Amino acid sequence: MTCAELEILLCDYVDGTLRGEERTALESHLAGCSACAELAKDVAGVTAFIETVAPAEPPAELLTRILHELPTGRPAAEKRSWWWKLTGGPVQALLQPRYVMGMAMTVLSFSMIARFAHIEPRQLRPADLDPVKIWASIDDRSHRMWDRTMKYYDNLRLVIEIQSRLKEWTDQEPAPNAGASKQKAESSGQKPEAGTSEKKR
Amino acid sequence: MATVAIPAAKWNWVPPYSQSRDAQGRTAKNLDADAQLVERCLAGQDAAWEDLVKVHTRRVYSICYRFTSSDAEAQDLTQDVFLRVFKNLKSFRSGEGLFVVWLTRLTRNLLIDHYRRTRMDRATESIEDQVKVLEETTAMLARTDGMLAGREASEVLQAGLQKLSPELRETVILRDLEELEYREIAQVLNVPEGTVKSRLNRGRAELARVLRRHKVRI
Repeated sequence: MTCAELEILLCDYVDGTLRGEERTALESHLAGCSACAELAKDVAGVTAFIETVAPAEPPAELLTRILHELPTGRPAAEKRSWWWKLTGGPVQALLQPRYVMGMAMTVLSFSMIARFAHIEPRQLRPADLDPVKIWASIDDRSHRMWDRTMKYYDNLRLVIEIQSRLKEWTDQEPAPNAGASKQKAESSGQKPEAGTSEKKR
Repeated sequence: MATVAIPAAKWNWVPPYSQSRDAQGRTAKNLDADAQLVERCLAGQDAAWEDLVKVHTRRVYSICYRFTSSDAEAQDLTQDVFLRVFKNLKSFRSGEGLFVVWLTRLTRNLLIDHYRRTRMDRATESIEDQVKVLEETTAMLARTDGMLAGREASEVLQAGLQKLSPELRETVILRDLEELEYREIAQVLNVPEGTVKSRLNRGRAELARVLRRHKVRI
């Protein structure tokens, strides 16, 4: 037996599964080869040492962490029929905690806004559902809202100031033009017509 | 040629694997249970996923911890392994091999990716940290006179494993700690069985040298 052959059989020898002629040949090689004997001793020693080692135990919370992170039911969902995907799928997706929480927060926000804006919800009656009445109500409300918005805009101090400043500028603008035309008329020897500037103003 | 006398007691010990195989529970019944568990998972049963994680967390964590030597990294990697199992379980075919082998191969691939990704971090790891670990190990050995067992032996082994190359380390972990068959290790590592045995001998011999250097009696 060569050293290379021994190396292949050494694992089985250490395991105790090597039998018969191969075992005898290996043992006789070990008796005559110091390098292989040292290798065999090291291998056996380490194997015995590892046997005494305590196993590496995962912390208890790891299991909970993994189970929490694993998404549930996804592989099976892919096998479900088309009608389930069409109806149940989107509904299931909407029922996820984050969406439900989002919807709850939206309802809460709107109810708080309505409360602060003094919007009083009242009981609906069958007559309220008449399309003509609904249209009339929407039209009336939109016109009222438009008027109210315009009035509010016109009454803004800033708007009034800007408007009055613009008016002043448009009033002042013709004056330099009138002066320029007067000078032009004088240089050409013509008498400016009386009341021209006044007319422009 | 000088003849080296090998202590007879050393060669009369009961082979470790003939004892521990049963303890490990790698029986046909368990393999059947794995296959059934996988089928239930694929059928969309949430309880089956829970069982699958419960049964295999210890093995996956142990491989990750022994390879990385870091509890935090091992936990993160174990979690990644199960997320990947969840996504790729459909690709597992029970007729083509054991679930344990498939799971171990997946874990090993993730570990190799992690090893390559963190190569720079390891290169810049402070020498002070390494010296500290060495001092602690030496102090422990002085206290125990080189005879170690249990938790202390585990820590010394961990320090020794880190000195091995990734190829030798993974082979020693899969055989000596996870107790996989040579054929299964060959499937996981995608190498011939002869290469597995050769790596195992080299890994064990290297580990023996490292342990001896740290005054551990083997």
